[in-house]
Amino acid sequence: MNCKHEIDLHLTRRQFFGRSAQGIGIGALATLLGPDLSAFAASLNEARDPKTGGLVGVPHFAPKAKRVIFLHQSGGPSQLETFDYKPMLAKFQGTQIPDSVRQGQRVAQTMGQSQLLVAQSTFKFAQHGQAGTWVSDLLPHTAKIVDDITVIRTMNTEAINHDPAITFIQTGFQQPGRPSMGAWLSYGLGSENQNLPAFVVLLSQAHAINTDQPLFSRLWASGFLPSSYQGVRFRAGSAPVLFLDDPPGVSKTTRRQMLDALGKLDELSHAAYGDPEIETRIRQYEMAYRMQTSVPDLMDLSKEPDSVFEMYGPESRKPGTYAANCLLARRLAERNVRFIQLYHRGWDQHKDLPRDLALQCRGTDQPTAALITDLKQRGLLDDTLVVWGGEFGRTVFSQGKLTDANYGRDHHPRNFCMWVAGGGMKRGAVIGETDDYSYNIVSDPVTVFDLQATILHVLGIDHKKLTYRFQGRDFRLTDVHGEVMEKMLA
Amino acid sequence: MPKPGLLTVCSVGLACGLVAAAARTGVVSAQGPAPSATPAVSFNREILPILANNCFACHGPDEKKRETKFHFDTQEGMFLKKGVIEPGNAEESLLIEKITEPDPKERMPPPESGHALTEKQIGLLRRWIDEGAKWDTHWAYVPPTRPELPSVSQTSWVRNPIDQFILARLEREGLKPSSEADKEMLLRRLAYDLTGLPPTPAETDAFLADSSPDAYEKQVDRLLNSPHYGERMAMPWLDAARYADTHGYHIDSLRSMYPWRDWVISAFNRNMPFNEFAIEQLAGDLLPNSTREQKIASGFNRNHMINFEGGAIADEYQVEYVVDRVEATSSAFMGLTMGCARCHSHKFDPITHKEFYQFFAFFNTVPEFGLDGRTGNAVPVLPLPNPEQQARLDQLNAAIDAHEAALADDIVAPLQREWEKSVSEKPAEPDVTELAAHYELDGNFSDISGRYRHGRTISGEPTFGAGQVGRAVSFDGDTEVSFGNVGRFDHGDAFSLAVWLKGQGNLPISVFQKIDVDGRHGFAWMLDDITLVGIQRWAARLSVRIAGDSPDQAIEIRTRERLRFGDWHHVALTYDGSGKAAGLGLYLNGVRVDTDVARDALSGTCATDAPLRVGAKALGRPFVGQLDDLRLYNRALTPQQVEDLAIHHPMRVILSGVIGKPSKDEAERIRTYFLTYAAPEAVQTNYRQLKALQSQKDDLVKQIPTTMIMAEMKKPRDTFILARGDYRNQTDKVQPGVPAMLPPLPKDAPLNRLTLAKWLVDPAHPLTARVAVNRYWQNYFGYGLVKTQEDFGVQGEPPSHPELLDWLATEFVRTGWDVRAMQRLIVTSATYRQTSRTTSALREKDPENRLLARGPRVRLQAELIRDTALAASGLLNDAIGGPSVMPYQPKGIWEELAFGDGFSGQSYDQSHGPDLYRRGMYTLWKRTAPPASMATFDAPDREKCAARRAQTNTPLQALVLLNDPTYVEASRALAQRTLLDVPKDANARIAYAFRLAAARKPTKPEIKVLRTLLDGRLKAYRLDRAGAMKLLSVGESALNPKLEIAELAAFTTVASVILNLDETITKQ
Repeated sequence: MNCKHEIDLHLTRRQFFGRSAQGIGIGALATLLGPDLSAFAASLNEARDPKTGGLVGVPHFAPKAKRVIFLHQSGGPSQLETFDYKPMLAKFQGTQIPDSVRQGQRVAQTMGQSQLLVAQSTFKFAQHGQAGTWVSDLLPHTAKIVDDITVIRTMNTEAINHDPAITFIQTGFQQPGRPSMGAWLSYGLGSENQNLPAFVVLLSQAHAINTDQPLFSRLWASGFLPSSYQGVRFRAGSAPVLFLDDPPGVSKTTRRQMLDALGKLDELSHAAYGDPEIETRIRQYEMAYRMQTSVPDLMDLSKEPDSVFEMYGPESRKPGTYAANCLLARRLAERNVRFIQLYHRGWDQHKDLPRDLALQCRGTDQPTAALITDLKQRGLLDDTLVVWGGEFGRTVFSQGKLTDANYGRDHHPRNFCMWVAGGGMKRGAVIGETDDYSYNIVSDPVTVFDLQATILHVLGIDHKKLTYRFQGRDFRLTDVHGEVMEKMLA
Repeated sequence: MPKPGLLTVCSVGLACGLVAAAARTGVVSAQGPAPSATPAVSFNREILPILANNCFACHGPDEKKRETKFHFDTQEGMFLKKGVIEPGNAEESLLIEKITEPDPKERMPPPESGHALTEKQIGLLRRWIDEGAKWDTHWAYVPPTRPELPSVSQTSWVRNPIDQFILARLEREGLKPSSEADKEMLLRRLAYDLTGLPPTPAETDAFLADSSPDAYEKQVDRLLNSPHYGERMAMPWLDAARYADTHGYHIDSLRSMYPWRDWVISAFNRNMPFNEFAIEQLAGDLLPNSTREQKIASGFNRNHMINFEGGAIADEYQVEYVVDRVEATSSAFMGLTMGCARCHSHKFDPITHKEFYQFFAFFNTVPEFGLDGRTGNAVPVLPLPNPEQQARLDQLNAAIDAHEAALADDIVAPLQREWEKSVSEKPAEPDVTELAAHYELDGNFSDISGRYRHGRTISGEPTFGAGQVGRAVSFDGDTEVSFGNVGRFDHGDAFSLAVWLKGQGNLPISVFQKIDVDGRHGFAWMLDDITLVGIQRWAARLSVRIAGDSPDQAIEIRTRERLRFGDWHHVALTYDGSGKAAGLGLYLNGVRVDTDVARDALSGTCATDAPLRVGAKALGRPFVGQLDDLRLYNRALTPQQVEDLAIHHPMRVILSGVIGKPSKDEAERIRTYFLTYAAPEAVQTNYRQLKALQSQKDDLVKQIPTTMIMAEMKKPRDTFILARGDYRNQTDKVQPGVPAMLPPLPKDAPLNRLTLAKWLVDPAHPLTARVAVNRYWQNYFGYGLVKTQEDFGVQGEPPSHPELLDWLATEFVRTGWDVRAMQRLIVTSATYRQTSRTTSALREKDPENRLLARGPRVRLQAELIRDTALAASGLLNDAIGGPSVMPYQPKGIWEELAFGDGFSGQSYDQSHGPDLYRRGMYTLWKRTAPPASMATFDAPDREKCAARRAQTNTPLQALVLLNDPTYVEASRALAQRTLLDVPKDANARIAYAFRLAAARKPTKPEIKVLRTLLDGRLKAYRLDRAGAMKLLSVGESALNPKLEIAELAAFTTVASVILNLDETITKQ
């Protein structure tokens, strides 16, 4: 029986409210709880934490991280030009990749390409930090923070195309319909901020020139969880949340008077019908009113000192850019927003990889590193988990024509690089090894499910226990898979 | 005393603290309070859920997961071994011993399973065994039998049999039904439930004035016969059928399935019996002599998502489509979660892995591609010309046939052979006077003009392939060729350049460059000003510049027409040496074309010794594409000479045989040439007419809408069991079939979808009628009798009123699946007609109103919230059906996520005029970015079949209703309408506007609140006329100039409050 589904589908509805109870939707937004709701919260004592709206009993054990910033690099950044240094490729340059290495792996767009010629990175690598982590010269700023991050060189996925791969890494399933990681966390952990959503999504456009991959709102959707757990997209510009601004010509006084009238009328309605849902609605209008202040306050960077903009780079002054979003991510973390999901487009280098990857790196390297440094300086890195990476890697062989200066790379699911920092993760470590072609994993593979399980683990969640019953089945983010990667943990 | 259902099951297994809390605060289970008498333990309702939830994982239907032979999902499995369950003797039963075992290592279920039984559950299991351990099939798998009507005491309340069932339960619980709702509440509720629109004040007045005993029934019949009834009934079905206007995966471009959506509306309006409704949607294409409408109906199973992501694997997605059909069909019609058996046998319900693929086989023989839909609908499609289009199409086809007959091979071929003989000996060379260079480009860069100025490759590897005159050379962006210092001329010298040219890609490219080192003198050709001319097809304008001192001292012209990339064009430039732009001529395919003059100020020398280059990266992007037969002349060619180069010369070359036997493509070119230029005049005329007719037909066909339909492959695809559901792991081959727990298919019937559809609506089917009536019930009362509309299986919630559900299901079949009659039955019941006003005592006893001691009070679904604002304000365009529309939406919502150029549905092209005010159900549904305002009110993304919607209550909803231009404009229109319709009295105006939205007269205190707001805002806006004007400028509908600005703005705030009332967006 779908009891949880039932209760949550009608979460805000009458079953929770006695005559005197004051109602509120529990969910990503529900945590815009006013302090006066303690009576209501008390009535839910065993069910939901009164402060956060999260499930009681969750976290399952003491968390290391309280929040997550997920820097998704959409398109599939090449591991070969970033973190997976392969000196042997100089020797293999221009040769056909051996079948013994390929092992019949499915390919995406190079089906039908007669030759699959090995292409070495045109960018140089060097070791950095005390850890001696190999980083290419495309990422000079990241190179400076390698002792704060753990690079996973052996991420692997099942999917070979963008749509299923990105859906998989965000929801634990290649086909649509499951809740995203942020929705799971909002559902399980609730929020510690009273005036902002628990799950915020920020989007930025490519720095590369070639055509971009699309994104889908399902990536931050709540799937079969109630819609209140879905991510709320904050957009650049005057109305970061849809319809946040009052209409033109409606002054603050007018809005206040309207809400007062509305509240009085709804109270009358409540007196007549006795439906506690009406009280909930009155509260939601007040919360909306408060958001009209809290959200612009969050988005207003004018009080940030110049030194901060210098740290994040020149684009950080331009709303909507990756750099500005990184800065915004720090501000959201400061405000205890639970799950901060960035998407940066433009990492799909099927062709002109040297040019376009350089553009992507130039646009993102400094702000990414600045975010880590900034969090660290503010003491936030200890309980904020930062995750960097895309949905798959890229093939060692060139897609299209290979020259010394130019080549492309197709999608490669068998190994790719991501990194994690802060919140209970090791610092200055490198996980896993791939073969000389960066085509197969030699040791310590980390699956998408493993990564998800480990992210949940540092948040104090047993990934096997955070489940939700839908259509008669207990679903979880990691389906029936996933192991916590002890090697990644501090 | 045991409590049935929800509590019992949920308090174990999961972190289900919510329920525990609910129990403490007096919240009761889904079935409502426990009955006061203590009946025997029900296997179906109390025992099976415990077993399913705690034991089935290892002792359930999935034979691969069973650790012992012993399993609880069938009677046979349960009593397989003596002593496990000893009927009548719990203490002697091994089962009880195992579940009460103190040693956790021995205890069942094992602690590591995460399951544990409560004392209460153990008690229930004991009692059930002591009471005889009666086994029973899960209720939903037993066909419904018509129950006796229960006896009740308060007979005067009963209006129809529904009430008897509801009342019997209420009386058992010691509850009384509520009084009948007042007429205003009742008519509004009814109007929303049957049409989705609020009643007009006139309709309410008519009902209030009608004191006849059947006044209400008259309203029911009026609304049941409204054309909006079909729309209202269609809405939940569109969710179940995952109807949308885009393909859903990756690029998510547009499709066109609105003819299917309109069929659904029409089917309800025609009161099509439900069995036909099901058969036509599942197998309309297979009905004997199926009509166009029946084929459209079969699109139900084409509403799934479709993919064409570059590099995706067709077989993988073809399987996904079929899986989706299985899931949608089983969920929408049978309330079964068959999808769970895709990877392994179902954990809870008796559906095996093999049975899943047998069901799958019914839907696996559609002539479709795994990757399709780039240009719109994916095959198979049905064109839907309107009668005029059909007539025109018939006419054109007849004319085309006639012309083709006159050009048949037996007539034309002899004429053509004769002509070919006459021209084939030796190709006459085009005029070679003043020919400066001639590159055939048939395999090298030799100049054959006699001057022998050979070109050379500077970088890259040019390749040679089929061309227009023999072979042609390809440039890939890395290839650069220098033709040396040819084409040197100054502004006083006449000059021509002619070439065959095919561009490629989607970016501006440079073609020829003959420019000196500093980039100032010389000439250049560019293909730029790129535009999209089809799916992934681009076209560019050709510009030619001759510069003395670039860019200002130059003449430059540019074709108005665009050259499509991917097509061959013969291009010729002529220059008369006048130094003027007018002295330049450009020819496309032998015809001089119109050009725009971009620059006309040539001075200084344009002569340069720089080489003529193609593919150089110095200026602009290098050339990507092909070139053939490049000629340079030191004079201006005449139009005839250009025509000869473009049209006649290539033909002569092909016919001469110097480049070998004509290819198929060349043979076609010869025929076309002959018919166009060389055939007898009558034949040429005929051919010209044929071309014109064909082009008219092409234009017409483009305008004819299509819809996706089901069809069968001529040679059906085999179906295999897929291990772990993976398309790569085919194991045993299976034939179409249905799960063994359901009735068998009729013997000897063909194993196709039509047989399946008929089987589904056979009265013996246990699920179909129950699931259908439960969906209707859910529409009226917020919950179905079975709350889990998507799951009638073992894990679903047992019905709150099982006898009523069975009675309704059998009644539905008995009336010949009469859908409208079923709606009438429900809405004319006393149960439905109760007031939704309630007492705290009743609310505490039955918070979800599952016992129905009061009327329903449910927030309107997303589409209806929009419809309400539009209807109240008078903006509503209530047209039915047609292509979906794009009302206001904040800028960038699509674009920020989209793939970009080259596909439909990437940018939001907002509608204007009447299309801005269509009902919510006609808003274009893009799956990867569903309509923003409606998604906020829990509208699903339509990626998968959705049996019901969530009902959340969030601050984002407040922001939509207060600030979305749709609602701001509706507020203004409502204010405008009110001020025009009602004379000066402010209170009367408030009452009028209130009534338009809430369909009742406001009370005095309500008027007072709004009056205070109005008076205050009136003062404020009189001082802030600019602000008033800004508010009134929201939206594209006209502002009535007669109205006073401040007054209208002030009343707009009042109207906005009215549209934001909880009552306005609630059915009560």
